[in-house]
Amino acid sequence: MSAQIILPKTAPFDDDSIAGLNRILNQASETQRAWLAGYLAGLDAANASPAAPPAARPAEPLAILYATESGNSEALALDAAKLARKQGFKPTIIDFADLDVAALASHKRVIVIAATWGEGEPPARAARAYGALMSASAPALTDTTYAVLALGDSAYPDFCSVGKAIDERLEALGGRRAVERVDCDLDFEAPARDWIARSLKELAPEPVAANVVAVDFGGRVAGETSRDPVEAEVIEHVDLNSSRSSKETIHLALGFEGLAPAYEPGDALDLFPENDPVLVDEILRLTQLVDDGLRGELVTQRDVTTLSVNLVEKYAAATGHAGAKALLDEGRAREWVAGRQFVDLLEAFPATLAGEQLRALTRPLPPRAYSIASSRKEVGEEAHLLISAVRYESFGRPRAGVASTFVADRLKSGASVKVRLKPNRHFRLPENDADIIMVGPGTGVAPFRAFVQERRAVGASGRNWLFFGDRSFTHDFLYQLEWQEALAEGSLTRLDLAFSRDRPEKVYVQHRIAERRREIVDWIENGARFYVCGDANAMAKDVRAALVEAFAEVRALTPDAAEEQVAGLERSGRYLQDVY
Amino acid sequence: MTMTDKLSRNEHIKAESGYLRGAIPEELAQIVTGGITEDSQQLVKFHGMYMQDDRDLRAERTRKRLEKAYSFMIRLRIPGGVCTPEQWLKLDRIARDYANGTLRLTTRQTFQYHGVIKHNLKTTMQAIDDALLDTLAACGDVNRNVLATSNPHRSRAHKAALDLATRMSEHLLPRTSAYREIWLDGEPVVGGEEVAEPIYGKTYLPRKFKAVVAVPPDNDVDIFAHDLGFIAILDEAGEVLGWNVTVGGGMGMTHGEPDTFPRVADVMLFCEPQDALAVAEAVVTTQRDWGNRSVRKRARLKYTIEDRGLAAFRAEVERRVGKALEDPRPFSFTSTGDRYGWVEGEDGRSHLTLFIENGRLRDIPGGPSLLTGMRRIAGIHKGEFRCTANQNVIIANVDPQDRPAIEALVAEHGLTSQATALRRNAMACVAFPTCGLALAESERYLPDLVTALEERLALHGLAEDEIVIRMTGCPNGCARPYLAEIGFVGKGPGRYNLYLGAAADGTRLSKLYADDLPQEQILATLDPLFAGYAREREEAERFGDFVIRAGYVAQTFKGADFHDATGPLNRAVEAGA
Repeated sequence: MSAQIILPKTAPFDDDSIAGLNRILNQASETQRAWLAGYLAGLDAANASPAAPPAARPAEPLAILYATESGNSEALALDAAKLARKQGFKPTIIDFADLDVAALASHKRVIVIAATWGEGEPPARAARAYGALMSASAPALTDTTYAVLALGDSAYPDFCSVGKAIDERLEALGGRRAVERVDCDLDFEAPARDWIARSLKELAPEPVAANVVAVDFGGRVAGETSRDPVEAEVIEHVDLNSSRSSKETIHLALGFEGLAPAYEPGDALDLFPENDPVLVDEILRLTQLVDDGLRGELVTQRDVTTLSVNLVEKYAAATGHAGAKALLDEGRAREWVAGRQFVDLLEAFPATLAGEQLRALTRPLPPRAYSIASSRKEVGEEAHLLISAVRYESFGRPRAGVASTFVADRLKSGASVKVRLKPNRHFRLPENDADIIMVGPGTGVAPFRAFVQERRAVGASGRNWLFFGDRSFTHDFLYQLEWQEALAEGSLTRLDLAFSRDRPEKVYVQHRIAERRREIVDWIENGARFYVCGDANAMAKDVRAALVEAFAEVRALTPDAAEEQVAGLERSGRYLQDVY
Repeated sequence: MTMTDKLSRNEHIKAESGYLRGAIPEELAQIVTGGITEDSQQLVKFHGMYMQDDRDLRAERTRKRLEKAYSFMIRLRIPGGVCTPEQWLKLDRIARDYANGTLRLTTRQTFQYHGVIKHNLKTTMQAIDDALLDTLAACGDVNRNVLATSNPHRSRAHKAALDLATRMSEHLLPRTSAYREIWLDGEPVVGGEEVAEPIYGKTYLPRKFKAVVAVPPDNDVDIFAHDLGFIAILDEAGEVLGWNVTVGGGMGMTHGEPDTFPRVADVMLFCEPQDALAVAEAVVTTQRDWGNRSVRKRARLKYTIEDRGLAAFRAEVERRVGKALEDPRPFSFTSTGDRYGWVEGEDGRSHLTLFIENGRLRDIPGGPSLLTGMRRIAGIHKGEFRCTANQNVIIANVDPQDRPAIEALVAEHGLTSQATALRRNAMACVAFPTCGLALAESERYLPDLVTALEERLALHGLAEDEIVIRMTGCPNGCARPYLAEIGFVGKGPGRYNLYLGAAADGTRLSKLYADDLPQEQILATLDPLFAGYAREREEAERFGDFVIRAGYVAQTFKGADFHDATGPLNRAVEAGA
């Protein structure tokens, strides 16, 4: 019996074909295999020019650039590289964070996958290279062929603006656009896959006579993990805030049939939520639709909350509603959608819709990513999430975060929920003997619970310092008993706390950082890594500013020099953020 | 006690504390917990605070990975309960900034804060210091806040009573600098304190010690419930001739331990004004040396007097004062209550006594805004405020021209309730959710019970009768329940011991009438007695006297027979109670 044949995943076939070939080849007798080999060789020989056996053509270099905040662009870049390898490219994946813009001209073929963040900004890590690309010092790219895939969220203004700007800039620098840019919304997966395939086809070099391709047996792409959704069971569901708290933060422990997704501390899980059935019923009522299976689809599949100018346009076109049109014509739509949701549109400008129209108006319901709050080395085949229920009122209506209140209100112990691993390779623990400083107020503490668990489990010698904050010491101290234990046994070296509503003057984590500036600078200069997780809008910026200020104070630096210190930490991967 | 007796645990804690320091500073710095160790909990009492936790939240905390909802009760030392409007405004601010938004008037004529978390303790203590007040010795095994009669209609005697209370409080105050060092960032005393406590020594008293000053005929301070009391003896012009000194009163006892009992004080001797402080110090130091330091439950002065006898104790006091003192002079009290509404002093000044239900000053959403109302009054008032021993407040020395404005504020903020006679004479301790000792509800339950009792009394035509009713959540007696005509003492959740038959002037203890009574049976138990009272009482006969004369319950003559002949007598059994 001959050795088992397993074609590498990188073989130039799709996964189904590889599986099929493996099955056929492994079942084949030696005689069958020999026949097949001879047949294929003979066939080639018959069709080929009578020249000597062709030399293998070298794989074509391809630069795949990505600018990522949440990890989606990065994941797509990895997918693109995998596919490119199969098609005879030699792909190089480059994070914008590491990009040397001046060297860009040396790449003949370039794919850019760029996310737009917040109000039309590049991802924080990509900001430096993005700025260089947009500046006058950017190199001419007359020998470069490129393609840009833009990621964004149509609920925000300036949808995909970063991708658009890069696309225009590369053209202005003399580059040749291989394919038209595609702007992807939250349901980016299908259009992105499609675009990657087209781009690789367009970027492929002219066919040459060679018909044997050099095969890159590089094997598995580093860090590759299954990104298929899996079912998880809720094994613990508890609101960690006291019943007197104004907040509601759910500790959600998930169990898995068999192995948990192979997550590392720092990774996130995409959780696939369902809409509030009460809201769906109201939408059905407002559109005078009857439930013919549509209700279930709306609850589980469609985004029925997000409202954007884009959606108002589609709605006005679909219904011809004069009020909605007026909103657009008078340029008031952008202001009107702020703080409102789809249901407000239906209520303000009522129209009868067909089920198909409603489907066309709504986007697929996207999953929501939550940082994992556990380490498999401590909790085994479980994953813990920490989810803050988002509730507020606007325009006279109570509003609820889709995923967070799905978890808080409708996901009970014993229920099952679909999740998918979302790696975050840029938010990893350092080597075991390095110190870490973790700043994680509110749910931002989630990955740091994972960090401390992991370091305890592996017996890491580095020191661990946590800054935590929330509203009230008594009612909002997430995982208080666990931190007490961690301090007592030494897996947490230091803890600083900032509770904003315990006294008249508000205290936040950045104030504690200012108070501890001397020791923080000492730790960092001794090699500590500095991690920030949580609110992107205010906290992350304030914390960074506090650290710059700390360097300025402690080392008597000018503001610019102190800023450069922190920027240097960022460049060298020692100031790391996971913000949302 | 003999040298072979083993000292109680608290004695070791005190002895090793370095004059009340212990590990308090280190434990305040531990930010991950809102609590402190048991030893430190004992020590901070001397600094005026108790560690507590919100008992309503206990059940959920572990599941939520939270420790108990610890916070601190802080009790002020305000001799005689007198403070200025400026101080009131500062105390009000502290309540809203660092405590639970309420000011609690207590039976010791002072304020308590509840819900101050550990991380705000120092800031709160510094804010109290900024109001020129302190909390030193407000709790603990020391002389606590000294009461003085509040009823101001006898102005000169009241002034003398307040003066004695203040001097006694200062004279018996611990001298340790630990308070200033720990809370106010004072400099530590290098090398420790050599002669830190000339009166107390380094183990202080065996147990708490409570002192009061009364001016007959008002016994609003409940003088017989206290370790040490001074009763003003006045001449015909209303000037103080001297003081009768009482010793050995006390309320606390332990359920199921008959050698613990409440006791009314003995009237021991008469002293002239210039000897008062020396007598007070002699009583304190004798108790310091003679008190029981082995069995904490028997450590109060009342047991020392029981065990040694009043004569021996008096002789020792006289020996320490350095002279023989006269026997007590005649006096008489009429009531333990406050005089509500406006009264004029002998000096023509006006005083307004406000009834504050259970002493809790707060703003009730959609209801009276007592805290805000008092704050606004403090904003215009030029006289002073007096906390009463019945948990009420007096706006004292009102400028005649401010009277209309104050009356308007009183009306606007609901500070005058249309309270019935029963409610005005009702008093509850704090109990749930903050007090760690509570076995049953008190402050949160008594108002509803009073409402139900009012209806019953009205049916019997007794709606306007004054009956003193008091409730505590445990047998320690903060609201002095054993001196109430109707007293309830918590036994367990929803269950109370019912005591009857105390004298309305505070001179006679009650007797256990019903043991471990479910709260649903309270009305049915009392109703036949109300009916009998309505039918058979004599002219001006008080309910507490009636139940004894009519044969419902046995009389308690002294503390030591408190536990004898308990339960309903034949008469009550015949009545179907």
